[in-house]
Amino acid sequence: MFSRSSLSKIIECLIFVSEDPLTIQEISSFLKDVDKKKIIDALDELQKFWAEMERGFVLSKIAEGYQFRTRSEYSQYIVEFNKEIKKFRLSKASLEVLAIVAYKQPVTKIEVEKIRGVDCSSSVSMLLERRFIETAGRKEVPGKPFLYKTTNLFLETFGLKNLKDLPTVKEIEKMKQDLTEHE
Amino acid sequence: MTTKGKKGIEDVESAYSVRLEMFNGPLDLLLHLIKKNEVDIYDIPIAKITEQYLEYLEFLKTVNLEIVGEYMSLAAELGYIKSRMLLPRIKDEEGGQEEEDPREELVRRLLEYEKYRNAALELGTMEILGKDVFLAGYDRKEMFGEPLKETEFVKFDLWSLVDTFSKIYEKRKKSETKEISLIPQIYTIEERKNQVIKMIKNKKEILFGDLFKGDKNRMKLVITFLSILELLKDGVLDIYQSTYKGPIKIIHRDKNVQ
Repeated sequence: MFSRSSLSKIIECLIFVSEDPLTIQEISSFLKDVDKKKIIDALDELQKFWAEMERGFVLSKIAEGYQFRTRSEYSQYIVEFNKEIKKFRLSKASLEVLAIVAYKQPVTKIEVEKIRGVDCSSSVSMLLERRFIETAGRKEVPGKPFLYKTTNLFLETFGLKNLKDLPTVKEIEKMKQDLTEHE
Repeated sequence: MTTKGKKGIEDVESAYSVRLEMFNGPLDLLLHLIKKNEVDIYDIPIAKITEQYLEYLEFLKTVNLEIVGEYMSLAAELGYIKSRMLLPRIKDEEGGQEEEDPREELVRRLLEYEKYRNAALELGTMEILGKDVFLAGYDRKEMFGEPLKETEFVKFDLWSLVDTFSKIYEKRKKSETKEISLIPQIYTIEERKNQVIKMIKNKKEILFGDLFKGDKNRMKLVITFLSILELLKDGVLDIYQSTYKGPIKIIHRDKNVQ
C-alpha cells in the first residue's frame, strides 16, 4: 500500500498523461487494491490544492473525469504563442441548435426546426461533423427520423461535469425574467 | 450560355443564402421587434409589429437578401392573427371559458424559442476548450479542424445592423444625386471587401456608419453593406456595441489580440 501522499502523486501523474478526462472508475480499476473512497478523497484534495495554488493551470472536473486545463485568463498568450491553434468557431445558429439538442435530447431535427422556425440542416450536419452531437437511434413515428444527443466531446468542449451541469431551465427562465422585467 | 456562366449564377445565389443564414430566422426577428418597440410579449400589438416585420422583409429584398419561405410563412401567420384579432371573441355555450387569444400559440412558441436562444448565449459564455482554456499539448485532440463555412459566434444582434443600415440607406436615398455616367460602372463585392479592410486596418476601430461615407449612390451602399456582412461571416471583422442603442463599431480581428 502507498502512503496517502504518494497515492495523490500517482493519481496526479495518471491525470497528467491521460488523453481524455480520467474518471474515478478508470483510476480505481488501475489501482485495484486502493479503497475507492481514498481515491475520491485524494482527487478532492488535488483539486483543492491546484485551485489554491493559483498557478497557470487548474484541475477541472470534466465529463465525469479529471483533467488539467489552463486558466482562462491566459488564453490570449496561448493563442499568440502557438499560431497553429485554429480558433474555436461556432455560429450563433449552430449554438442554438446545440443548446436545443443539449436540453431536449434525444431530439429529432424536425423538433429542433419547429422551435427555431427555420431549416437547421446545415447546422445539424456541422455539429455531427464536429462530433458535438451524434445519433441516438430513430424515433418511432412515421418516417422514423434520427434522434440526436450530445457527445462527451460536447461536455469536454464546454467544460461541463455532466449534462446536469448545464445551466438549469430555472436559471435560464430567471435570465429571461430579468430581461423582460422592465415592462 | 456556357456552363461557366451558369455556375456564376449559382455562386451568387448560394452567397445570398449564406448571408441570410447569418440572421437567426423569423422568430429571432420577431423577438428583435418586440424588444425594439419595448412591448409586452404577452400583449403584442399585432398590427404594428406585422407592419414592421413586413418592412424588414421589403428592405432585405431591396438590398438583395433573398428572403426565404420561413420568413414569408411567419408573415402570413401574422396576417392571419391580425385578421382574427379584428373579430369579436366568441364565448362558448357554458358562458365561462373565453376563446383563446389568437396570439397565444405564437407567444408560446416565441417564449420557447427565447428560452433556447438564452441557453445558447449561456453556452457561449462558458469556458470553451480551444478558445478560453487549453490542454497540455493542445493539438492532441483533433477538434479544432479548419472552420467550415461557419460564422464566429457573435454576441451581437444582426437585426440592429440592419436597422442602422436602413436608416443610412433611406437618408441617402433622399439626397442622392443622379450621376450620369457613360461608362457603366460595375462594383464588385470582392473589390469593396478589400477597400473596407484597408479602411479599418489603419485604425483601431471604425464606426459602422463611417464605412458608407464615400458611397454616393444606393448601389454602392448595398455593395458596402453586403461586403461587411461577408467579412463578418468570414471572421475578418468583428462588431462591437457597448449598449443596446449605442453606436456600432467595427474592428479588424487581427487587432483583437493585444
